[in-house]
Amino acid sequence: MTHMLSGFFLVMKAEVVRMLIIMRRYWFASVIGIIIGYGMLIGLIIAFMSQRERVDEYTSGMEGGMEGALGLMIGLWAFGLTGLFTQGLQGMARTGELEQVCMSPYGLVTNFFARSLVMAVNSIFSLGIMLALISWTLGGTLHIHPVMAPLLAMLTFANLTGFGFMVGGLVLVFKQTGQIAMILRLIMIGLALLATTQNMGEWPLLARFMVHLLPITDAALCLKMSILDGAGYGVLQHSSFFFLLVSCVIWNVIGVTLFHFMEDWSRDKGTLGTY
Amino acid sequence: MSTTPLISLNTADKVFHTRHFMSRKPDTDRRVFYHKRTVHAVNSVSFDVQPGEIFGLLGPNGAGKTTIVKMLSGLVRPSSGTVWIDGIDVSRKRLKALGTVGVVLEGTRTSIWPLTPLENLAYFGNLKGVRGKLLKERARFLVDFIGLKEKADVQVRYLSRGQKQKLAICIALIADPKVLLLDEPTTGLDVQSSRSIKDKIVEMARAHGKSVLVTTHDMHVAQELCGRIGIIKQGALAACKPTEELLEIFGDRALEIRLDKLPTNGLLDGIPGVEAIEYPDAPESEPICLVTLEPDQALRSEAIYEVLERFRRDGLQLRGVTQRQSTLESVFLKVTEEESSS
Repeated sequence: MTHMLSGFFLVMKAEVVRMLIIMRRYWFASVIGIIIGYGMLIGLIIAFMSQRERVDEYTSGMEGGMEGALGLMIGLWAFGLTGLFTQGLQGMARTGELEQVCMSPYGLVTNFFARSLVMAVNSIFSLGIMLALISWTLGGTLHIHPVMAPLLAMLTFANLTGFGFMVGGLVLVFKQTGQIAMILRLIMIGLALLATTQNMGEWPLLARFMVHLLPITDAALCLKMSILDGAGYGVLQHSSFFFLLVSCVIWNVIGVTLFHFMEDWSRDKGTLGTY
Repeated sequence: MSTTPLISLNTADKVFHTRHFMSRKPDTDRRVFYHKRTVHAVNSVSFDVQPGEIFGLLGPNGAGKTTIVKMLSGLVRPSSGTVWIDGIDVSRKRLKALGTVGVVLEGTRTSIWPLTPLENLAYFGNLKGVRGKLLKERARFLVDFIGLKEKADVQVRYLSRGQKQKLAICIALIADPKVLLLDEPTTGLDVQSSRSIKDKIVEMARAHGKSVLVTTHDMHVAQELCGRIGIIKQGALAACKPTEELLEIFGDRALEIRLDKLPTNGLLDGIPGVEAIEYPDAPESEPICLVTLEPDQALRSEAIYEVLERFRRDGLQLRGVTQRQSTLESVFLKVTEEESSS
C-alpha cells in the first residue's frame, strides 16, 4: 500500500513536470487554445441566453448564461477526463506508450489515477480561467468556497475517474469501443448542461432515476449550488450531495474492479499494446 | 557472480483465441458472419539465460519471438508453463518482477517526442520508481554511456532513428535492471548506429553483468552478439545451443575443389568420412567438386588427404581448394527447413 502510494505521488510528479515542460514549450498553443475556447463559449452562451429569454422568463438572461457556462465547463471537464480513458488510452496503445506504462512496477491503475488527477487539475485551471472570463463578460458572480469548492471538485473528479476506469477497462480489451465512448462523453456535456440549467425535480421519476445514475448529474447540481448560488456548507444538506457521495463510491468500486479484470483479460488476449 | 538464471522459461505456452466477424474463414476462404481462430503463438518453450549472457532468439516473422518477450515483460500472460525473472514468477508477482527488467519493444514509440532525452529519462525513471539525485546521476551516466551526450538537451523529435533507439535503450536501463529484453534492437538502423548499439549491448552484458535477450531477424547481429542462440519456428524452439556449437553442428562442412577437368566416375567412392559428393553447375573448363565431410575432426582430416590423393592419382590438376564458411544464416535456414520437413 505504501509502495503504491509513493508510486502514485512519483507518477503524479512525473506527469506534472511533463505537463509543465510541454506547456512552457508550446505556450503559444496553450494561450491560443484558451482564447479560441473563450470565443466559442461566449458565442454559445450568448446564443443560449437569447433563446432562454424567449422561453423562460423567471430567470434573467445573465443568470441563465452563467448557468449554461458553468454547465458547459463541467461538461467539458467530464468530456476531457473520460477522454483520457477512452481516446487517450487508444492513442497510447497506438504509439506504444501504454505498454511502457504497463511495465511500470506501480501498475496501470496507480498510473492512470495519477495521470487523471494531473489532467483534472490542469483542466480546472484552464476551464476556471475561461469561466472567470465569461463571468466578467456577463457580469456574473462566482462564489469559490475555500472548503466546499475543492471538496466538490474532488468528489466530481473521483466520480468521473470511477466511470472512466469502467469505460477504460472496456477499451483495454475492445479498442473500438473508444469510438462508442465518444457518445457517452457527449452525453455527459449534455447532462451537465441540463443539470445546471433545468429544474430536474419536475422530470418523470424514471428520467430522474436515469440521470442520477450517471456520474455527472449530481456533481453538476452540487457545483452549481456552490459556485453560482453561493450555498457554501448548505450543499452538504442537499440530497444531491448524498447521491454524489453514493455514486462516487459505486462508480469507483465498479470502475476499478472492472479495469483490473479487463487488464488481466487483455494480458490473456494479448491486446494491451494493440490497436 | 551468481549462477542462478536471471531469465527462465519453463514449458511456456501461449494460445490466442480470436473472434472474427464478417470476414473470410482461412480454411474455406468463404466470407462468414462469425468464426473463431486459435493461434498457438508459443509452444512449450523452455530456456534459461545466465547473468552476463547475451541470448539470441531467431525466427521468421510470426514465429513467436515478440510474444516471448511480452511474456517475460508481463504484457502477455502464458496459457501454461512458467516465466521467471530473477527468481520471481512473472505471472504471480508481475509488478515485483517488472522492477528488475528493462524492455525495448520493436516498432513502438518508447519516448516522448516533445521532451529531451534527459527529460525523458527523468519521466520514465519516476514511472519506474527511481528518483532524486540517483535519477539525475543515472540519466547523465546513460546518455554519456550510449553516446547521446551532445543531444541530451535536444527534443527527441529532432533526433535520428538511431539516436531514438539509443534513447529507448537508455530508458530501458534507467532503473538499472538486471535483465534487458531487446526486441529487434537494430532494425532499420544504418551500419554505424547498428554497430554502436551492438557494442553497447556487449558492454552491458560483459562489464555490467546484465542478462540480455535479443530477438532479431538479422543473422549478423545474432552471430556477432550472442553467446547462445535459440531458433524458434511456429512457436516452438527448434534449436537452442551456443552459437559456435550451432555453427559446428548445422553448419556447412563442405570442401569446394576446383579442378581442370571432371574426375573419373566413382573416383571418390568408399572414402571414410565423406558424406556426399556433388558436382554443381560450373564452366566445363573448371569443374567444381563439392565434398561434404562428416563432423568428426579426425575422420575429416583423413578424408581430405584421401580425396586429394585420389585426384592426384587420377591425373587431375587442382585449381583451388576452399572450405565453405558456415554462417548463421545457412544454419538458420537448415534448422527451419529440417523442422518443416519433420
